[in-house]
Amino acid sequence: MKKFILAVAALVLPVFLVSNMHAADREHTLKIYNWADYIDMTNVLNKFPEWYKEQTGEEVNVLYQTFDINESMLTEIEVGHEDYDVICPSEYIIERMLRQGLLQPINKDFGTTPDYTKLVSPFAVEKFQQMAPDSSICVADYTVGYMWGTTGMLYNTSLVKAEDIRSLSGLLSPNFQGKIFMKNAFRDIYSVVVLYVYREEIARGEVTRDELVANVTDERINRVEEYLNQLKNNIAGWEVDFGKEEMTKGKAWMNLSWSGDAQWAIDEAANVGVSLDYLVPEEGSNVWFDGWCIPKYAINTKAASYFINYMCMPENAILNMEEIGYVSVIASPEILEWANDSSITQTANLTYFFGEGADSVHANQVFYPDQRVIERCALMHDCGVMTEDMLAMWSRVKGDNLSPALIVFILVVMALIIFVVILQSINRNRQRNMQRKRRKNRK
Amino acid sequence: MKSSKLRMVLQSRSTWAWPYALFLVCLVLLPLILIGVYAFTDPEGHFTIQNFVSFFTKSEAINTFIYSIAIALITTIICLLLGYPAAYIMALAEFKTPQVMAMLFILPMWINFLLRTIATVELFHMFGLPLGEGALLFGMVYDFLPFMIYPIYNTLQKMDMNLIEAAHDLGANRMQVFTKVTLPLSLSGIYSGIVMVFMPTVSTFAIAELLTHNKVTLFGSLIQRSFGEGGIGMWNYGAALSLIMLIIIGLTSFFGGDKEDINR
Amino acid sequence: MLENYKKSKIEKRGLGERIIAHAYLWLLLVVLYAPILLIIIFSFTKSKVFGNWEGFTLGLYQNLFTGYDVATNVQVDPNLYRAIFFTVIIALIAAVISTILGTLAAIGIYYMHPRGRKALTFLNSIPMINPDILTGISLFLLFVFLGISRGFGTVVAAHVVFCTPYVVLSVLPRLSKMDPNIYEAALDLGATPFQALRKVMMPELWPGMISGFILSLTLSIDDFGVTFFTKGSNGLETLSTFIYADARKGGLTPELRPLFSLIFLTILILLIIMNIRTHKQQNKTT
Repeated sequence: MKKFILAVAALVLPVFLVSNMHAADREHTLKIYNWADYIDMTNVLNKFPEWYKEQTGEEVNVLYQTFDINESMLTEIEVGHEDYDVICPSEYIIERMLRQGLLQPINKDFGTTPDYTKLVSPFAVEKFQQMAPDSSICVADYTVGYMWGTTGMLYNTSLVKAEDIRSLSGLLSPNFQGKIFMKNAFRDIYSVVVLYVYREEIARGEVTRDELVANVTDERINRVEEYLNQLKNNIAGWEVDFGKEEMTKGKAWMNLSWSGDAQWAIDEAANVGVSLDYLVPEEGSNVWFDGWCIPKYAINTKAASYFINYMCMPENAILNMEEIGYVSVIASPEILEWANDSSITQTANLTYFFGEGADSVHANQVFYPDQRVIERCALMHDCGVMTEDMLAMWSRVKGDNLSPALIVFILVVMALIIFVVILQSINRNRQRNMQRKRRKNRK
Repeated sequence: MKSSKLRMVLQSRSTWAWPYALFLVCLVLLPLILIGVYAFTDPEGHFTIQNFVSFFTKSEAINTFIYSIAIALITTIICLLLGYPAAYIMALAEFKTPQVMAMLFILPMWINFLLRTIATVELFHMFGLPLGEGALLFGMVYDFLPFMIYPIYNTLQKMDMNLIEAAHDLGANRMQVFTKVTLPLSLSGIYSGIVMVFMPTVSTFAIAELLTHNKVTLFGSLIQRSFGEGGIGMWNYGAALSLIMLIIIGLTSFFGGDKEDINR
Repeated sequence: MLENYKKSKIEKRGLGERIIAHAYLWLLLVVLYAPILLIIIFSFTKSKVFGNWEGFTLGLYQNLFTGYDVATNVQVDPNLYRAIFFTVIIALIAAVISTILGTLAAIGIYYMHPRGRKALTFLNSIPMINPDILTGISLFLLFVFLGISRGFGTVVAAHVVFCTPYVVLSVLPRLSKMDPNIYEAALDLGATPFQALRKVMMPELWPGMISGFILSLTLSIDDFGVTFFTKGSNGLETLSTFIYADARKGGLTPELRPLFSLIFLTILILLIIMNIRTHKQQNKTT
């Protein structure tokens, strides 16, 4: 008994110690909620308290946590009223949060500290403004972009020729049976496929890409579903994280990826002698963003605002980009210089991003696509009330596995079970009757 | 006076379950009622049965549900066929430390699920085996086999050997000893095993996602999708799906309750 | 009794039969452990992708222990270590509570009248049927509804919810094999209910309790769905939640491979030591 109590005490004591560490006051803590592997911890995150002290003279203790699904993060805040100070959601979640009033404006009154948030590319600011629930809201007051990219096809250059898959129609080729990985994210798939199935209407000027992606209708869902059903045989699987790994191992030939993941895969594959490349489909694709914002229930909004400012500093942007392999929305001259790599022969027109003087930059076009590519990319939106129909289509496309054999199997098993149960009831009845007879006989 | 009443209550063993009963009511029943509230309302909060109607009218939902049950049944049967002999051998064979052997079957579960499933995928790659339903069944059996072995092993260990000896002495051959003596006595363990494997298998989905590259969808995925990617607007539907699954499978537990009576 | 039975069985069964029986068991174990062997093998290479072999090195082990990647001086995510700590603590506490609660419950259920027993058995199986995301969300809703802030306590409570049913199911079969009269006998001899429980019933039920305890530990360590929704925003992480967030970008942190290889080997060695000790004990008594 004594040993038991000692053991329990030994377990519980360290817990109290640790949880008391967190009781350290909330006003001087900064709760950050971000994607995993999405920041340079050593050189950026860990140096923030020091920088904050320099700028404001105040202490701050950073509590950094990670999530992997946007909607779960949203649920925690919307339903659970969790008090994260600064979060980094995807653009469509920012749109939803703005609509529901779940974000606070960022306090850009930084005193003597320069406002680095002004360095965000006007391209990003303009795209973010598309997410405003009504024209009175200036989205830039509420969110500052972090990283951005495109969605496109990552492909194995020795197995697939770029010309063959520049159009989504190329994916339907019977040569590619079981060789294509698609993203397990219905919004991304929808926004790429819808631009393909409506390519003629786009060419005739009847509808714009932005309109197709932003407004989901049943007709558009149906046509996307048609294409996906045609593609089914060629699909090796629907992935979110294992696709790029499979590509580096040469298991799949193509993978619909995000640009940052694609670059990661290209680099990793190079290590093992596999050559990959990335292209954005010619009919169009989507351009995505995530951004820092301050949720409604945040407490330490001052440190949150300063943190967002801190992340916009060009040197930090560069450190983050190099660490996580994605592209920052910051467009200062330092970034332009960083992006310019003389070992790359092809140049890209990046005036949409950096402004004047960036019309032929030797940039990695996976990261910084040429203007012509951006022109055919649309921003993803929240589906709102159409989510249910979208998910239904999604489940239909992915879930068609039932075969008649299995149905027969189940019926057989059920019949057996019912048979056994009936047998047992009969047995029990018989036993009871026999017991009654015995009792009668004794009497 | 008071102390003897307390004594009587404590002595009666049926009251020992009350703390757990209270716990279940607060932490299982009450949350379920909340889920039920979600299932019977729409996102604005009005009462509706639309969520259930949606389930019965959506082909993919019923499709997936029946498919998941089929997979669960197959998994349970395979686990039983593989697990019973294993438990039997461990309990009756000449192992000096059968507890250690039993632990060996549980040990793989200590490796994080995601990591070991990724390793399983790699294993399949190495042997050139395709991912798909076969891999799915392998993964399911892999994860749930210990749950079948443990209860059967426990019952077999506790078996009264005198009965076996007696049967042998009465001239029964080994087959008869097994079917008439060992098997019926281990029935409660078999039942526990079936329950511990079948019920969670119907709602498992993560294995399917990883071992078939998401080409096979199980019912649990539909629920996860409604609660996850669907956002709060789809929670009502997800809640309805969960209740449906709960009710239909809960019926099995009700049926099986009879078996306990027989053994007593 | 068991010895006599085993001896007679052994005489009746030939060597061939025993070999087949043992071979079956070992074959099963080999298949079960094949993926784990892979994990151990790939813990010795520094590739970011599981399955790519980039040369033999102990680098990952080094990183795991120093917390830094020596080659690039990048920190190994410190949340990993906190996650390990909390995973262990939560699992131990939840398993202990579940075992006690579940054993008492199993005894109570067994001796209840049939209607109560059916109801309680049904309630007991609910956490087993529910996908963990449902248990997680329903508890999340409960805590929000009751205004309970989510953190360590709620996670432990949640773990007890899904572990206890397994304890109950592990102990119940042992109960049905137990002689029902020994409890009353103990009481008649003057024992208090608590003493009767400890000295008379527990030894009979002990193997079931141990199975339940170990099952609880295993389930708790590996849980994701329930922990995710009940951990709140105060920095609580377990290995599972850490790994799931980690898997999204850049593949699983490579240092996880040596971590789990070490966990596995430690327990395996413990088991072997236990095995040897019982061998020695048995040799002494015979």
